[in-house]
Amino acid sequence: MEVSTVYTTQALNSTCSISTPAKTHLGSHQKQVVFYRRTTKSGSGGGSCVITCSAGDSQTVVIGLAADSGCGKSTFMRRLTSVFGGAAEPPKGGNPDSNTLISDMTTVICLDDYHSLDRTGRKEKGVTALDPRANDFDLMYEQVKALKSGVAVDKPIYNHVTGLLDPPELIKPPKILVIEGLHPMFDDRVRDLLDFSIYLDISNEVKFAWKIQRDMAERGHSLESIKASIEARKPDFDAYIDPQKQYADAVIEVLPTQLIPDDNEGKVLRVRLIMKEGVEHFSPVYLFDEGSTISWIPCGRKLTCSYPGIKFSYGPDTYFGNEVSILEMDGQFDRLDELIYVESHLSNISTKFYGEVTQQMLKHADFPGSNNGTGLFQTIVGLKIRDLYEQLTSSKTAAPLEATKA
Amino acid sequence: MATLSSLSLVTTRAVANVPDTTVKVPYLNQPWKRVSQLGCRRMQAFRAVRAAPDGISEKVEKSIKEAQEACSDDPASGECVAAWDEVEELSAAASHARDKNKDSDPLENYCKDNPETDECRTYDN
Repeated sequence: MEVSTVYTTQALNSTCSISTPAKTHLGSHQKQVVFYRRTTKSGSGGGSCVITCSAGDSQTVVIGLAADSGCGKSTFMRRLTSVFGGAAEPPKGGNPDSNTLISDMTTVICLDDYHSLDRTGRKEKGVTALDPRANDFDLMYEQVKALKSGVAVDKPIYNHVTGLLDPPELIKPPKILVIEGLHPMFDDRVRDLLDFSIYLDISNEVKFAWKIQRDMAERGHSLESIKASIEARKPDFDAYIDPQKQYADAVIEVLPTQLIPDDNEGKVLRVRLIMKEGVEHFSPVYLFDEGSTISWIPCGRKLTCSYPGIKFSYGPDTYFGNEVSILEMDGQFDRLDELIYVESHLSNISTKFYGEVTQQMLKHADFPGSNNGTGLFQTIVGLKIRDLYEQLTSSKTAAPLEATKA
Repeated sequence: MATLSSLSLVTTRAVANVPDTTVKVPYLNQPWKRVSQLGCRRMQAFRAVRAAPDGISEKVEKSIKEAQEACSDDPASGECVAAWDEVEELSAAASHARDKNKDSDPLENYCKDNPETDECRTYDN
């Protein structure tokens, strides 16, 4: 069966790699164009070499992740890239202050790179980074669209250390593009490009506790300064960032626990995974049966848990006018067998083998949230994204084959 | 609202030369942070007072002072809000830098760039 497709010259400008003929790194769903070169340019090595280009690789899946600063985006990114395999690292040989992370399958772009005003510019105008006026949404849309259609872009770099906009770096279109930041779903053109979107919704008490943990070791910070910083940013956050959660396909909401009365430490968390119904290629996780309402305490005869224990609940609901299913976990995991017991009773978690969620959680046991619902739901969402990616790529390769059959 | 009465606050720093700040910096019991890190930062305080502000920690401290000044005039103004946003951004950058330094192993970093040197050679048989 031969599939012939016409390539435009623009498509050929996308990622090219010079490889030795023995290496076949292209997967079954990448189109191949092979050139043989006899003449050698200076510095390209002697003899003939095979240049294979993945032309017109329009199968980049784009994922959007929105959260306020200090809310766990980086941790989520590390878990997500780990699900796909390999560690994500900044681009080698480039700007050391680059915010981009690249692994085999994924590239993570920080949307702070699309700030139109640098730190001094924002100070002059009196706007925060949360304000849409400080961001260039046109450029964001153009570049995400280009990457999605397989064209490499020169993306600006926002240097968080100096607060300046550095010279751009080249980003090649990856298989999975993740855009993380404050405004991935703010602009509707960018929102339409996203195949899946996630919002991390941290409640005020938990945010305060997390920021205290993060900042108290810093000289100069005090409780008052941390509180003042959160409160000063709150109006802009509520106006521009928070409304994005109605557009997200999955929301991870983190609240203080209900298991401990008058808890003020904020160590035990209640985490809710709010999953939109009817999203293509995404089937929500459920307990016992879809669409029913369940409350489940796994601790009992088969499993002994230490105080305060674990409580799950699942049920359908509406969220900003959308039909959703909510899976909720309150409490902490203390032992491995608690985790595996819980995993064996969750359905639709898109694992490839029994115990994959537990294995992923254990692999990153040092990450924050590895013993509670934040880590669990982030891992599960990572597996759902992998499932979504596989469904999308298999459906895209099926389409051209069907076209030639007809 | 989370109250922290149950956490023990320890002021362990004896800073002689730090300019007059009325804000104390209590350290929470944070067993997951290495004590040596806190020790190093203490040493940095003595060194950095005379030097011009560079390094992220000094930037954070400077930005907090500026924000407090900007907000003393008008707490609702754009300048005040932008100043606290800058504090937040720098604190996040400082936290990322701390994590990066915590993970990096000097030997591994050297060997990544120079695998052929004697310290970095590996033998498989």
